[in-house]
Amino acid sequence: MILGLETSCDETAAAVITEDGEIRSNVIASQADLHARYGGVVPEVASRRHLELVVPVVREALGDAGVTLDDLERIAVTQGPGLIGALLVGLSTAKALAWSRRLPLVPVDHLQGHVASLYLQPDALEPPFLCLLASGGHTLLLDVRSHTEQHLLGTTLDDAAGEAFDKGARLLGLGYPGGREIDRLAREGDPGAYAFPVARVPGLDFSFSGLKTALLYATRDLSPAELEARRPDLAASYQRAIVRALAGRAQEAAEQVGAARIAVVGGVAANSELRAWLPGAALAPLPLCTDNAAMIASAGRYAEPVPYPGYLGLDAYASR
Amino acid sequence: MLTLAFDTATNVATSALVDDGEVLGERVSRASTLLEDVDALLRQGGAHPHDLDALAVGIGPGSFTGVRIGLAAARGLAFALDLPGAGVSTLAALAAGAPGAVPVVDAKRREIFTLRDGEPVVLAPAELDVAAGTVCVGDGALRYRELLEAKGAIVPADGDELHLPRARFHAQLAHDFGAVEEIEPLYLRVPDADRSVAS
Ligand SMILES: [Zn+2]
Repeated sequence: MILGLETSCDETAAAVITEDGEIRSNVIASQADLHARYGGVVPEVASRRHLELVVPVVREALGDAGVTLDDLERIAVTQGPGLIGALLVGLSTAKALAWSRRLPLVPVDHLQGHVASLYLQPDALEPPFLCLLASGGHTLLLDVRSHTEQHLLGTTLDDAAGEAFDKGARLLGLGYPGGREIDRLAREGDPGAYAFPVARVPGLDFSFSGLKTALLYATRDLSPAELEARRPDLAASYQRAIVRALAGRAQEAAEQVGAARIAVVGGVAANSELRAWLPGAALAPLPLCTDNAAMIASAGRYAEPVPYPGYLGLDAYASR
Repeated sequence: MLTLAFDTATNVATSALVDDGEVLGERVSRASTLLEDVDALLRQGGAHPHDLDALAVGIGPGSFTGVRIGLAAARGLAFALDLPGAGVSTLAALAAGAPGAVPVVDAKRREIFTLRDGEPVVLAPAELDVAAGTVCVGDGALRYRELLEAKGAIVPADGDELHLPRARFHAQLAHDFGAVEEIEPLYLRVPDADRSVAS
């Protein structure tokens, strides 16, 4: 049994999986409501909440799985990248738990965790594949060769895809998190109503900051009544531009490296239009798309565990 | 009673293993290596994690991240080892280590944490009332040495251990042991985002 812990952003999460990648429990305490009134994640608010939630969430994950700390073979914890103060709450807790039982600790890279969400049962994907990781914090294309070997092919030069959704939602006067709101509203709109450009940057990178500016220009001269009327079209067109960039680059990348499969992970993988644009893609189940600890435990099956006492001085890292 | 005490609220991590008032060992490092210190203290004391009876943990005020590292470790240890614990103010521990002195913790942003009539407060350094000859200790006293000395205060030499909230004093001051999950951090300041939302 592996206990996973994840506190890199605004979800406090703990999960128990077996060595075979079967999920025994997957507890996620979302702070989205807490951060909604700020229109985004506030690091200090998130860190305070993580401290309140982390042990109750661990207790619940063990309880749901019907195991105790004595049944664990190792503990996997997100070491970075993410909000440093938030990461440190999870890491400090994990070190204390592991030390108490002399268990090995597996420090996990959050992004590898997202990829490892695909290795969980019952529909475990086997490498190689091309992975699009798109979330509020990251947008990357990875050439995944094996469970432990992956190469970065492209990344965003400015905003992450999920961030573009959030910023767009704010301009449209929608709630937070923005991806879900835009996705819902876009279903009532015409994606061809506005031609929002997505910058063509060289290679396999992304750029979404110009798109946000285009939406700003399209909305700033509208009266409240006009904005209300055009909002579904604006949302649909804006979403189409993001999705076209993501899907297009993912297909280009797959061709370039000769990958037979495309997989999509991260919060943006929940977007219904992206799913429609990449019909053959492997997608993590919805509860595993957003941040969770089952994916961290899953990565903990493949990453090298650090035996006691080697991990006691580990530090978290904000960026790679 | 074997008590493990630690405090990570300031720029150092202090820790101590205390058995019924007898200090078996003490360490000073950084918050990121707190568990290394804990491990070394127990080895040195010939104890196993399961031999521990209680925790005494510093709750700040100090660095928000530092306070959380200590409390997260304490909550993890308490959960795994079924230990009771008590929270101890970092200012109170500093004061206990330097009787008669005013404890001053650096609060960053040109502010300090100190005790006023026994209550923790956040102040601008210039607002601190000190009678001439008053001893000031803590990382805040070091940071604002010039200002405090101009007021007539005495600040011990930079390397003096009086400036450290030594964890032996947390063990000494700890009382009312209870559920560690209910020990709250002493932040004294709301997050900036809440200030702007409130205003
Ligand atoms: Zn993530």
